[in-house]
Amino acid sequence: MRALVIDDSRAMRRIVTRAVEKLGFEVRDAGHGREGLDVLDEGWIPDLVCVDWNMPVMDGLQFVSAVRANPTWRNVTIMMVTSESEHTQIVRALAAGAHEYVIKPFTADALRDKLALLGLLPQEVSL
Amino acid sequence: MSTTDTGERRRSSDARPVITDLIDEATVQSIGEEAWVALVGEEEPLVPLLGKLPDDVLSSWVDVVGPWIGSVVLTTGRQTAAELTRALLGDSAPELLDHEDVADAFGEIANVVGGNVKAALPGPSALGLPEVGDAPVVRNPADVCRVEVLWRGQALAISVQGALPPLPVPSHPHHEKEVSL
Repeated sequence: MRALVIDDSRAMRRIVTRAVEKLGFEVRDAGHGREGLDVLDEGWIPDLVCVDWNMPVMDGLQFVSAVRANPTWRNVTIMMVTSESEHTQIVRALAAGAHEYVIKPFTADALRDKLALLGLLPQEVSL
Repeated sequence: MSTTDTGERRRSSDARPVITDLIDEATVQSIGEEAWVALVGEEEPLVPLLGKLPDDVLSSWVDVVGPWIGSVVLTTGRQTAAELTRALLGDSAPELLDHEDVADAFGEIANVVGGNVKAALPGPSALGLPEVGDAPVVRNPADVCRVEVLWRGQALAISVQGALPPLPVPSHPHHEKEVSL
């Protein structure tokens, strides 16, 4: 399975990438939503996108809307991974088309549980 | 119909909350501790003890704009910020850290702490992108909630501080009694 990690922080990209790789995903990353769309445009279609909210150039919400507007990418599961934890923000993200929402800081167990709920764990894994 | 404005209504509606009305030190500390455990690891938590910040400090912060306007600021010594960066990056840390590495990692910690502080405040509020450098100036000492802790024995401060100056105090409040609407 493939995962695309989008975050403007290199440190956070590394942290999320490491966590998702441990769960068995092949991972690519991008520094903002526009770069993430470029990866999809290349034809590298992930099963899962972990996307931050607040980013320059194109934020996570704009990215989610852009992906949902393209029928080619309708099977991509999107999980917001963000420090935006207000209820109204979560509702906005889900309404835009995100499937799940993980609030930073998150533990590896929390991430695994979310992916299990989404039916996206490639195999039985332990962290 | 005219009414007499006693000043009470206007004063209460004009009053801006200060941060200590909205969040306490224990909550800020708890948010910081939780962020550290998740980002840095549970082996090296924040310790709730006072320390002395060195002269050469670095701050990272995010702005919060909503019913309350201000910043969530982390401040520690530059060397400690670099150690934090290595702890955050783990195996991925480059042999030589540059300023961008430190700014990115230290800024991200402020982003995570700031996002959770924002969630504890009245909303809706917007969260700015992380910045790193010299901390924003404290404009109203009464509008600050600050906790000081140690990490690896080094001092670190988490400050939730307002961006606005104090409201002027009316010099002749009894004159308001003469205002008619």
